[in-house]
Amino acid sequence: MIPRDRAPYSAIVDRPPLRLPGQARLVVWTIVNLEFWDIARPMARQVLPAPTGQVLLPDVPNWSWHEYGMRVGVWRFFDLFARLGIRPTLSINARVCEDYPRVARQARDAGWEFMGHAYEQMPIHRVEDQKAMIERSLSVIEQFTGTRPVGWLGPGLTQTEETPELLAAAGIKYIGDWVYDDEPTEIHTDNGPLVTLPYTVELNDIPMMLVQHHESEYFTRRCLDTFDRLYAEGASRAKVMAIAIHPYISGQPHRIGYLEAVYDRIARYDGVLHWNGVELLDWYLKTRGEG
Amino acid sequence: MLPSERLDYSPIVQRKRLALPGGARLAVWVIVNVEEWDINETMPRTVLTPPAGGSPMPDIPNWAWHEYGNRVGFWRMLEVFDDFRIPAVLAINGSAIARYGAIVEAAKARGWEFIGHGFSQKNMQKVADERDDIRKTAAAIRAATGANPRGWLGPGLTETWETPDLLAEEGYDYVCDWVLDDQPVVLKTRGKPIVNLPYTQECNDVAMMLIQHHKASEYRDRAIDQFDQLYADAAGSARVMALVVHPYIMGAPHRLRYFREALAHARAHPDVVFWTGAQILDWYLGQR
Repeated sequence: MIPRDRAPYSAIVDRPPLRLPGQARLVVWTIVNLEFWDIARPMARQVLPAPTGQVLLPDVPNWSWHEYGMRVGVWRFFDLFARLGIRPTLSINARVCEDYPRVARQARDAGWEFMGHAYEQMPIHRVEDQKAMIERSLSVIEQFTGTRPVGWLGPGLTQTEETPELLAAAGIKYIGDWVYDDEPTEIHTDNGPLVTLPYTVELNDIPMMLVQHHESEYFTRRCLDTFDRLYAEGASRAKVMAIAIHPYISGQPHRIGYLEAVYDRIARYDGVLHWNGVELLDWYLKTRGEG
Repeated sequence: MLPSERLDYSPIVQRKRLALPGGARLAVWVIVNVEEWDINETMPRTVLTPPAGGSPMPDIPNWAWHEYGNRVGFWRMLEVFDDFRIPAVLAINGSAIARYGAIVEAAKARGWEFIGHGFSQKNMQKVADERDDIRKTAAAIRAATGANPRGWLGPGLTETWETPDLLAEEGYDYVCDWVLDDQPVVLKTRGKPIVNLPYTQECNDVAMMLIQHHKASEYRDRAIDQFDQLYADAAGSARVMALVVHPYIMGAPHRLRYFREALAHARAHPDVVFWTGAQILDWYLGQR
C-alpha cells in the first residue's frame, strides 16, 4: 500500500491541538540505536572508504569503528542517562541481545524501553522473509526482557509496501519510520491501525555526522535551536522532540560532551517531559480527540 | 537553441541604468517551492541513505521527510511572511495543487503569485511530453487561482533545448532557470521573446543545506552578505535579489529562525522593495 492510501494529507494548523498533562509543553523522546553489523557483508556505514574506493570484504576498519560504540561509546550513554534519570527508548537489532548480552542487559536493567529494529542491520527490502524476521526479532527481545515490544523502527527507517501490515499483524502498535509530522498520527493498515511517532532524521547523528559531515559541536546548536522553537510552539500545542543517537557516533570522546550539553540546557526549563515511545503512544491514544 | 543564440553576452557595467520607483535600490523576491514527491519514483533529494547503500524502493523515510514540509514546515514559514508582510512567489508542481489544498488556499488568501514548477518534481529532460507538462501545470494553476501563471521555474531548474520556446508559446511571460545575472534579461525564442528573472542557486536552501551541507546559520549569514553586496552594487543601477526556500528544509524547527533573521536584515532597509516575480517583470518591461 502506498502512503497516500494509509493517511491523507493533513495540515497541522487544521487539527485540534494535543495537550500534555500538567501544563507541559514538550516531550523529549530519546532513542538510542544499537545494531549488529555482520562482518561477512558490506558495512552499514563507513567512516573510511578503502583506497581507490574498492569495496572491502571483510571491511575490518569500518567494522571495528562501529564495534567501538559497543565496547566503549555506549557506556558513556549509560552514564549520562543514569545521571539524568532518563530512560530512553532502545532501538535494538534483536541480535544484539544474543551477541552483546552485556550491553542489552545494562539497558534492560536500567528500565529502558526496547523497540524492535529488525534482527540485524540491513535494509528491510533485502530481507527474504520479512514476516519471519519481524517475528524472530520480537520473540528474541521478548525472551530477553520478558516484554514483547510495541514499537518498531526499520533499519535506516526502511519499509516496503507491506511492512506496516506485517508489523500490525505481529502486534506492533507504533512505528518511527514516518518522520512526516511533529505529532503522532494514525495510519491505516489492512491488519488494524498503527500510530506513527515523530522520530527524527534532523536531530539524528547519522545524517548530521556521517552524511552531512557537520562538526561535532553543531549537534548541540541544532538540538537547542529545535528545542527553542518547539518549546515556544508548545505553549499552544504539545510538541515532541526526538533525539536519535548511536554509540559509535555520539559515544565518541569528542562528541559526547555536545550531547551532554543538550540535556544540561534543556534541564533548566519547566514543562519538559522525558518520555519513551510507549509513554508517548499511551498519551496519544488517550488524549487525541479530547481537543 | 543554444544559449548564445538566445541572448548576447552583456557585461552588467555597460547597460542602460535601471531605476526602481521611489529611489529603491533593490527588489527582493522570495520564492517558496512546494512539491509533491511521487512515492513510486526515486526521491528527488535524500537526507538519509539506507544501511550499506543502494536505493531501495519505496523510499519511505525520505518521502516522509519531505512530506513534513507540507504538513508542518510550510505553516511555520507562513508566520514569517505574515510578520514581515512580504508576499511570496509560490513555485508549485501542478500535481501538488490538488494534493495540498490547504497550502493553495493559504497562498491565495495572501495574494501570493503562483508560478509553474513542472507538473511533477521531475527533470524536464525526463518528462515524456514537455509541452503537455507545461500546459497541464498552467491549467492546474488557472483552475486554482482563476489566472494563468506568468512565470515558470523548471524542477531543479532543468530545461531542454526547447523549453523557453515552449514556455513562450504556452503563454508564460518569464522563466527563472537562467541564474546568469543580477538583472532581468530577455531570451529570444522561436516566437515571441521571454524574460528571465534572477533566481538563485546561491541563496537556495537545497544547494546550501542538502548539497553543501552548511549549518543552518549559514543561510542567514550568506543571505546578509549577498544582500549587502547587491545593495552596494545597486548605487548606480537597480538590482534584483532572490531568496529561495523549501518548506521541508528551512521549515524545520532548527532552521526557521535563520530564514527569519535573513529577511529581518533586508526588511530593515527602507529603500528595498519586496516584490513578486510578476511585479519585477512588469517594472522591467516598463524600463526598457
